[in-house]
Formats: sequence, C-alpha cells, structure tokens
Amino acid sequence: MKNEEEASERPDNTAFTQQQLPAWQPVLSAGIIIPGFLIIGLAFLGIGIALFLTSQTIQVLEMDYTGVEKDSPCFRCTSPSNQTCTCEVTFSLSTLFTGPVFFYYGLSNYFQNFRKYGVSKDDYQLTGDTQYFKSPRDVCFPYAHDSKNNPIVPCGAIASSMFNDTFELYQIINGTKKKVPLDGKGISWWTDYNIKYRNPLPVNGSFASAFDGTVKPINWPKAAYELDLTDPNNNGFLNQDFLVWMRRAALPQFRKLYRRITEGDYATGLPAGNYSLTVYYNYPVLSFDGRKKVVFSNVSWMGGKNDFLGIAYLVVGSLCVVMSVVMLIVYAKFKFSDDDDA
Amino acid sequence: MANSKKERGVKWEVRANDRYFHQSCRRKSFLCFRWGRYADNVVRSYKYTPLTFLPLNLYEQFQRAANLFFLLIVILQCVPIIATIPWYSTMLPLLFVLLVRGCKDLATDLGRRRSDGQINRRPCDILTPEGFKTVKWKDVRVGDILQVHKDQVIPADLLLLCSTEPHSLCYVETADIDGETNLKFRQALSVTHTELNGDSVKQNLATFNGIVWGEEPNGNLHSFKGELHWKGERHHLDTDHLLLRGTVLRNTDKAYGLAIYTGSDSKILQNCGKLKLKNTQVEILLNKTVLVILLFMITTAILLAVGAGLFEQRVSPQYDVVSVLQRDSSPAYLGFLTFWGYIILLSPSMPMSLYITFEVIHMMHCLLIGWDVEMYWEDNNSPAQARTTTLNEELGQVGHLLSDKTGTLTQNRLLFRQCFIAGHIYGDMSKELKPLDLSWNRFSCGGLKFSDQRLVDKLRERSSPECQEFFTALALCHTVMSEWRDGLPHYQAASPDEEALVCAARELGWVFLSRTRETLTLSEMGLTRNYQLLALLDFTSKRRRMSVLVRDPGGQLKLYCKGADIVVLERLQRDGPLQESTERALELFAQGCLRTLCVAVRSVPEALWTEWSRTLSQVGTSTGDQETALEEIYDQMEKDLTLLGVTAIEDRLQEGVPETIATLRRAGLKVWVLTGDKTETAVNVGYACKLMDPDTTLIQGEELRQLLESPSPEVKSKEPEVWITSRKAVKSKAALVISGPELAELTREPEWGAKFVALSDQCQSVLCCRVTPAQKAEVVEMVRKYSTSITMAIGDGANDVNMIKTAHIGVGLCGVEGSQAVQNADFALAQFSFLRRLLLVHGHWSYYRICILLRYFLYKTTAFALVHIWYSFYNGFSAQPMYESWFISLYTTLYTSLPIQCMGFFEQDVSDKSCLCWPEIYSIGQKKQLFNPLVLAITLLYSVYTSIILFFIPMGILQYFALDYQTLAVTIQTSVVLTMTVEVILHTKFWTKYSVAAVVFSLVAFFLSTLALHSARLFTASPKDYFFLGASPNAYSTPEIWLTICVT
Repeated sequence: MKNEEEASERPDNTAFTQQQLPAWQPVLSAGIIIPGFLIIGLAFLGIGIALFLTSQTIQVLEMDYTGVEKDSPCFRCTSPSNQTCTCEVTFSLSTLFTGPVFFYYGLSNYFQNFRKYGVSKDDYQLTGDTQYFKSPRDVCFPYAHDSKNNPIVPCGAIASSMFNDTFELYQIINGTKKKVPLDGKGISWWTDYNIKYRNPLPVNGSFASAFDGTVKPINWPKAAYELDLTDPNNNGFLNQDFLVWMRRAALPQFRKLYRRITEGDYATGLPAGNYSLTVYYNYPVLSFDGRKKVVFSNVSWMGGKNDFLGIAYLVVGSLCVVMSVVMLIVYAKFKFSDDDDA
Repeated sequence: MANSKKERGVKWEVRANDRYFHQSCRRKSFLCFRWGRYADNVVRSYKYTPLTFLPLNLYEQFQRAANLFFLLIVILQCVPIIATIPWYSTMLPLLFVLLVRGCKDLATDLGRRRSDGQINRRPCDILTPEGFKTVKWKDVRVGDILQVHKDQVIPADLLLLCSTEPHSLCYVETADIDGETNLKFRQALSVTHTELNGDSVKQNLATFNGIVWGEEPNGNLHSFKGELHWKGERHHLDTDHLLLRGTVLRNTDKAYGLAIYTGSDSKILQNCGKLKLKNTQVEILLNKTVLVILLFMITTAILLAVGAGLFEQRVSPQYDVVSVLQRDSSPAYLGFLTFWGYIILLSPSMPMSLYITFEVIHMMHCLLIGWDVEMYWEDNNSPAQARTTTLNEELGQVGHLLSDKTGTLTQNRLLFRQCFIAGHIYGDMSKELKPLDLSWNRFSCGGLKFSDQRLVDKLRERSSPECQEFFTALALCHTVMSEWRDGLPHYQAASPDEEALVCAARELGWVFLSRTRETLTLSEMGLTRNYQLLALLDFTSKRRRMSVLVRDPGGQLKLYCKGADIVVLERLQRDGPLQESTERALELFAQGCLRTLCVAVRSVPEALWTEWSRTLSQVGTSTGDQETALEEIYDQMEKDLTLLGVTAIEDRLQEGVPETIATLRRAGLKVWVLTGDKTETAVNVGYACKLMDPDTTLIQGEELRQLLESPSPEVKSKEPEVWITSRKAVKSKAALVISGPELAELTREPEWGAKFVALSDQCQSVLCCRVTPAQKAEVVEMVRKYSTSITMAIGDGANDVNMIKTAHIGVGLCGVEGSQAVQNADFALAQFSFLRRLLLVHGHWSYYRICILLRYFLYKTTAFALVHIWYSFYNGFSAQPMYESWFISLYTTLYTSLPIQCMGFFEQDVSDKSCLCWPEIYSIGQKKQLFNPLVLAITLLYSVYTSIILFFIPMGILQYFALDYQTLAVTIQTSVVLTMTVEVILHTKFWTKYSVAAVVFSLVAFFLSTLALHSARLFTASPKDYFFLGASPNAYSTPEIWLTICVT
C-alpha cells in the first residue's frame, strides 16, 4: 500500500508532461529566408504584372451626367421644378468595346453605409411576410408609416431612397437610332433573388391585392407590385433593380450594376461608332453635392478594371525582392567578417 | 461572578455531557446569515451550495473590472438608440468567459466538498449513556466527551481530561499545524487525572459535569486561557491541557477529552487565513496597458463622436434620407449617442478573454512544474509543487536570489564530526572514516560519522571527568523525545542539531532513555541514572541557547547550557583557563564548515534555586509581558558558566549546489546568502558552494563601512581612496560580507541601504551572517526597495518564513525542519539544485510564453477593433460596424483563441537543455526584454499599422468593383483571421501536433462557421444572409498581400 502511494506521487513520465513532445522547430536561417523572400517576391511580381497587364486590357468608359456644368446635356434637368426630364448623353467609340459589356450607374458622396440608414429596412417584410405589411418594424421609422398612418411597404430609408433614373442606349447609325438591348436579368445576387427576398403570396390570384392596406414609399412613382408589370418574376421585391439597390454599398462613392449588354448584335461588344444614352432623370443628388455617372466596362478573369490590385502586388513583390537583396548583403558581410561563427 | 469572567476574558461556556444545552445554541446559517453560538463539527471549506452558486459566483466574477466593463457594454447594447451591434456579440464572449471561470470554480469547489466529506466522515468515539459509540466527525458537538486512540487524528479542540499514561500525559504530533515533527506532550489537570482515572473510566466520565469557561474561539495556536469549574473549585487551564484538532495522538494508548471548540471554532480552522495574492510585474504592466487602451478607446470615441456631431451639423441636413432618420435631435445629442455607440464598437479592443486565457495558462504552467520528473526527489517522494498559480512568468525574471544556508544549501542532515573538550580536539575531518568499534554499547544504532579512538578510550576508562560531564550535558540538555522500538531508543527532535548531539552521546555510551515531565533517565555507560528535571529554559531564536536545571542522583543542582558560541562565551566565568585554545578550536571548526555549539555547566547552590524558582512562579502567574520577564529571569540563571566543550557538527552541502549556484550566477542572478551562522562558517560555505571564487576579495567590516560612508557610489569623480581601491577590487572580484549587528545599523540609515544594494550589484555575491529571521525579511525588503529586480527567497525552516513571505517569490524546500516554509511559499521544491531547472527552464519558458501571449492578445484585439475607426471616416461617423456581428462575437472565442493557447502551453524558444547550457538566455527576463512599455508601444503601433493595412488595401482594391458592404466585411474578416493566424504561425517556433491541430481547427472553424452563418437555413432565424463565395476571390488576394507585408 505504501509503495503504491509513493509511486503515485511520482509525476508521469510522458512526452506531454515533460514537455518533450515531438516538435518541428523551423530554424529561420539566412539560407531559408533569403531564397524564401526572393521566391515570394518574384511570385508576387509575376502575379502583379499579370494583374496589371490584364487590367490594362480592360476598357472602361465613365461619364458623369449629373449636369453641374451649364453646357452639359443634363443641366436643364437639375432644376427642382423639372419633374420628369429626359436628357441625352452622346459618346463615340473609336474601337470595338469588347463584350460582354457591363453597364453600371455610380453615385458619389452618397452615404449608403450610414448606420441608421443601413438598418432602416424590415427583413421580415421583405421575405413576403404579410404580417409585417400591417405593422412594419420600428427600425423603419420614420419610413414606416405615411402621414395618414398607413403602413409603407417596402418600408425604411433604403427602399425609400431607391435610385430611379432609367437609361436607354442607342447606337446612331447614319443618323438613325438603333436601340441597344439591355439585359437586366441576373444582375442581383443569386441568394438575394432566391432566398433573402420573397414576394408575398398572391391574394385571390391577384398579386397587387397582397399589398392591400399599404402604401408605396413616398418617393416612389409606383408601388412595389408595379415595378415591372411585364415580367412577374421581376416584379415586387424580386425586381432586380430593387435588389441591387437594397444591397447597400460599403463606401460613399460606389457603383451598382444596371444592365448587361449581351444580346443580339451587341453580344460581342459595342462596335465603334456613335452612341446616345437617354437618361430619364429623376434622382436628385445635387442637394448633397453628389454626382451621378454611368460606367461601361468589360471584365476579365480578375474582375473589372483594377490597377490598384496589380500595383499592390507589384509593390509587395518588389519590397520582398529588395529585402532579400539587403539581407543577402548583410549576410555576406557577416559571413566574411566572422567565419568562425558561421 | 459573570462580571469577573468577563474581565478574565472567559466567556465561552462548555458544559460537559450536556448535549441539550449546546444543541439549543447551535449555529445555523441560511445564505449569508448566521446565528447561534456553537458551530457543529462539520468542515465547510466549500463556498457554494446549489442555491448560492450562481449569485455568489457571479458576484465574485463581476468584481473583476474587465467583466464588469463588458457587462456595462452588454447593458449599453440593450439600449436601442445606441446599440450599434446586436446584444449577443458581446454577450457571447462574456458568457463564454463567465462559463469557463464558473466551471473552474465549480470544479475546485466540488473538490473541496469531496475532501470535506472525507474529513467529516472520519470515525471517532463519543461517550453516550450506553458507553462509547463510534460516530462520524461531523456529529461531534461541543460538550461531548471523546475517546481518542493511538495514532488517531483528533477531531476537535479537546480539553484533555485523562489518559492511560501515567500522570495522564499524552503525546501529540503537530505536524499538520506547525509543521514540527517532534512529539509534544500534553498533560491533564491533576484533579481530573486523579478523579476520573481508574478502573471505571467510563462511569466516571459519564458523571463528569464540570463546566469549562474559555476564551471566545480564536486562531492563536499557542495560547489558551480558561478555567474549569468542577465540584465547586476553579482550576486554571492553559494550552498544555488542550489537544488541538488536526494533531495526532502518539505513544499514548487512549486519551479522553472534552470537546470545547468544534468545527469552524477550532483553532486550526480559525487559523486558515486567506492567502494574500501576489501580482506579478507583468500583470501590473498589463493592467496599466489595458487602462491605457481604455483611455485611448474613450478618447477615440469622443473624437469620433465630435466627428459625428459635425457630420450631423454640416453634412446630413442636406440628405433628406439621413436627416429624417435622426428624428429632429440636436447634433450634440447625436454625438453623445454616437459616443456610446463607438464605445460599444471599440470594446472588443479590450482583451476580455485575455484574463481567462492568462489564468488557464498559468494553471497549465503550474501543472507542468509539478509534472516535471527532473524536479522529483525520490528520497522523500516529493515532486515540485506550485502553490501559487499566478507567479509563473516572474520565475523567468528573478534578479536577486536570497537563500538561507542551513537546510537549503546544505542537507541539514547533521553529523557529529568533532568536539573540543578540555583543550583537546577529538575527531578528524578526513573523508574515509574507520568506523569505531561500538559493539560494547548495546544501545548503539550506528550512523555515527565520528572516529577518534582516544575519546572512546577515555570515556570507557572514565579517566576524564570533563569528557563525562560533556556527554552528560549533551544527553540532558535538549527537548528530544524518545520512543522505544525494537529495544532501542529512537529520538524525535525539534531541531536536527539536537538529534545529532543526542544520538552522538548515545553512540558513545551516554544514552538518553526516557523523560517524563519531571525526570530524565540516562544510561551512562550502562549505568542507569535518574535526573530530576527542575526547569527547562527553552530555546528561542532570540536567546539562541537553552538550558536545563537538574538535580543529579547525588542531589547536586546543576545547570547545563548549550548554545551559540557568542552567547555562551559571554556568560562564562571570568578568566576561564582555556579561552585561547577554545577560540582557536572555534576558528578551526568554522574553517571546516562545521556548525559549532558551546556546552557549559554551572553548579547551582540550593538557596539560589529556591529563590529563583519563587520569582519564576511569580512571573508565571502574573499578567503582562511574560516573555521578556521570563527572559530576564533566565538570564539571571545562565551566568557564571564553566565551559565544558564545543561540539562541531557537519552539515553537508546538498547535491549539485555548487553547480547550481555557478549556473545561476552565470544567468546573471545575484545570489545572497543569509544565515544565522558565524561569519567564518558562512564564508567557507560560500567558497565551497562556488558562491565566491577562490580569488575573490571579501569586503567586510570596517572596509565596508568606509565604503558606505564615502560619498554615494554614483559620484565616482571625487571619490576618496577607499573607493578607488575597492573599485579595483570590485572590478576584479569581490563579495560583500556583512553580519547581523552591522546590518541592523545599515537598515537604520536609509541611504546606506540604497548604497549597499548599489554596491552589491557590482559584486559577485553577498553574505549576511548572524542574521535573525526578522533581519532576513528586512534584507529582502531592502533589496525590493532599492532595486527594480524581482527577488526570490528560498528557505526551508520556520525562520525563513518571514523572508519567504516578503520576497516577490518565495520558495520553500521540503526539508528536515518541518513544512512551515513550504506552507508559506509560492513554490515548493525538494532540493536546492532543482531551482536551476525551475528558474532557467520553467521560469524562462513561462516568461517567454506569457509575454508572447500578452503581446499577441493585445495586438489581436486592438488591430481588430481599430479597423472601425478607419471605416468611420467613410460612413459619416455613424458607428457602422465593419464586421458581421457574429464574427465579432466568435472572433476572440473561436477563431483566434486556440492557436495562441497552444502556444502558451507548448512554445519553447530554446530547449530545456540549451536553457541549462547557456544560462545567459535567462537575462532577457531579468531585463524585461519581452514585455516593457517600449515593446508594448511597438506592439500597439504595429496593431495600428495592421489595422490600416487591413482596411485600406481591401478598400482600395474593392472600390473598383460594384462593391457592397457585406463583401467588404467578409473580405476584411477573412483577412483579419488569416493575418492573426499567420502572426501566430510566425511566432511559433515549436510546432507540436497540438499547435498544428489548433491552427487548422481555427481556420476550418472560421470558414465553416462563416459559410454556415451565411447559409440560407439560418437566414430564417437571423436575417444575415449573404453569399460568401462571391467575396472569396477578392478575399483571397488581399490577405496574401498582407501576409508578405507582415513578413517584411
């Protein structure tokens, strides 16, 4: 008995308790670090060059149509009195703008990332839960009820401030306008369209009557169930433009996808020539010194035009290479100064 | 009557055999309320009951500032207008921390409950009307009469009524109380002894109806005042009549006692004080840093709030959409709300889970210390032990090691090697000994390392009366208890010196056979003689001597005195004959590293004795300062002594001590030795254990004084000659030697202390000789005061307890002198040489791991939270969080906690062998190179830099895309997690399978849980769905960029 007790006091002689676990101890010697840095640096340089070159091939056409300057085509639309206004922005392409071309609209100095703005929507309402049609959640305040205390659907600041300029693009061939077909399908996220946003179930076969007892957001020209009467799959909360708008931007300067040009004669891109963009100018931005623009761009494997990414890789890569050279020099110096140590 | 009892301080009434009386006043408790007078005998060291666990534990946990802070944050998050992130994002980590800690507390509490239960279920015999009945400890009540058997533990504080031994003596071992292993005797009142003992003990006891009046329960183990009222008489009671709970009955068949204090009233439990928690320097600095972070956070929040106010005033009125949201509030008010919003948002920069991780890692390190086989000592079966779990990293920073000598550097297994009697030195110091032929002595047990046939011959021939007297003195003048086993006496002594001397006397024919309270029995060369013990003038560390006054069989009164040489020599008769040769002998012994004691005798005239004993009894009954009064009286008796001789006892160095000290010195530790021994002995031990090199010059006495009197050592330009010479010495090699009296002078003048410490820093080592326990503590205090380094005190005996408690870290050796030092120490070791491993390996690793851990933690949390600041410049200071709220809550707990935890457990920058081979590595801890304000500032700046990179690079890249907020959030989240993991990977130098698993697990957990949280299924519960895959190509490229920046 006594022996057992004594044995129990003796600590276990295992690798764990003795801190003798087998372990890999990487030694960061100059022989590893310098080539390592060099390899990483070269890899980054390679990626950077590839990215940069790819980025150079991407064509981007950006046009501000806010109409701040007096001679700009949309200047007349900027006066508040002008309720429905159209203006035309013309541009010409000297070479083929390779497709598929993406058509963005962009806003700047617009704080879609303001916190209270960002939470001002009712996710339950947007899943088509009619219970929340009657009484929107508090977060929507003051965009939850109109002055007559009718519930607003969709409620909240984001929905209420939805971008409502629309565009039509024409190619001018010999003085006649040829409409460029714009594809608005699939511009929103798959999850948004299929899961996150749901329309309410039709009541008595009528989609509109599901919205009975609610009013449209104050700034909207038409109700949610009238957003696209031609295509029931693009109507209501599932309207692609609505979905794109509801996915709020991270920065005050942002662009959102408006359409893609993928059809008909323009599937391969926009051929050289003159074009005219008709803008149905509704959305006021000048009050907060904002700007509106349209952007045409094509994409590559790395996404849109992005010089920054390539440059970042180049900078890091060259830093690594420089570091490795510096280290090599230092190492060589040390090595020759005291050979014994090495 | 009652009044007088109050005056005498005896208000605790115990009626024997009256259960009913005490039952009515039983102490009961409900929650925190208690009433009643007498505690029952149940030990409740546990803190919680099922009912009180939750509130009590939560209360304790929220006493920590960090937890309270986060509770406030959670409360703030519940206020809708300022809640920037949902309540659960802080609540989850907080709950996690509370849960982990709660579980830990619960586990320890259950452990306590179990051990309590074991104690409470121990059996004991209690007197009932039907006779003695075996019950459990917890059923013992005040007023019960108990029967205790031999080798049983005493269940409550008992008043000894009688025992089976003559005079109702009984012997107890108090090892569990004061760590002393020698037996002590207790004796019953003679009245109870005579009345109760006899053939019918049971009946007598059952009818015993005395009433005991005692003090209120207190924790003073060595005093008790009380009186017994029985049969109309009053009898005084003191601590000699008391059997304390926790002591063990020895050498006594049965003892009967009356329970006076039970359970929590008993002396030992009253004595269980709370341990004072020591904070390490690292922790103090950490707390300061956290405070700085808090201040920084508040300032940033204020600035951002001002920004928000300005934004509201200047910018937002132009936005219809935004301004309407603000409900007509003034910008100032909105700024105020934003302030709180940012406090919430930045709160993750406070390392909340750090404290819990810190604690877990400390515990782990303590376990590892206990598990180390190389610090396990086979001989007394004791592994190293970490008794305080908060000091580990300080082990890696010790700058001054203050060590006791006896029992710490030496084995404290004392051997009688030489003696000096009447001008002759007997015994030699040669290593190989011819064992003496002691077969003539039937009491010989062997074990004597003494060889001098001359002495044996003299003793056997009885040719030298001095020699005979000398050994009679050795056999009489002690407090040793004898125990007979196999016909041989075995001795149990309070101090090993005594044991060595009594054993030596036994081997040489003067055998101490037994003692009672009034007699001592010796066998002198086979002739049994009885000495009447008149008085015992006991040993105290202040007196440093002890004496016995005996009446020898011839009727002569004799005082035998034994003590340290200076105290005894100054009490000798004037013009003693052998003064010179004695001093020479003492010097010789000291050079041989021997401990010396002088033995002297005095014949006491009968008249002097009667007078002296009268004054003694007067003091005994008088109140007031008994101790000093006694000392004076003792002094009167101990004078005009005649020197009999000098004993020289060898105390061998422990194994590996010189090597250990040499290594520690190489590691940059200043080793100070504090000893009660003579200067010469100490110096010789110093040389022997490599504390000083052979060519070291000693600075001591007058030279030292001059040095200290000279202008401060800092002013080296105008220094006097002394200083120059000494500096030469210092430059080569020097050691300071200072003795107790000089030290007392030193501590009186504060400047000298500073100078002394400064001077000592330039010397090899410091020896303090002839110091008292209190002075040891003073020295530690002085070093703590005048130097910034961490002090560690190591000792083994009760005289080191002060020092151990005063130092930053106290180490106790489980030595021969009982366990008191261990009980007061933070770490317990079995051997001095284990110190090397404890400091150089465990200490270094702990320091390294904990510093890396803390730095990483601060880095991780601040870099994480600072991103919000950069983002706020782009979102109108609206306190928009940068991350998904789930990410915030899981970041510290799940994604980044395990790899660093593993690192805290397993990381080794250098292997244990290299730690020991190159002790110079240790100095990084002493110089605080891994955790100081500068390093912390760099860490924090680095985290600012990281957060800038983390935010601006993804932003720069993604601004070319049709970028939405959620993509940016996912990108940055992924970068943060990858960055932090890469950081750990870069810091880890010791890859065990666990570290790899932890890293892999964290990353997998991150990706899986992100995907899961973004899945459609969870969307119905929480509307936080976005498609992760869309962001991943971008997320991929950014961390890679970051990674390389981090490397460079």
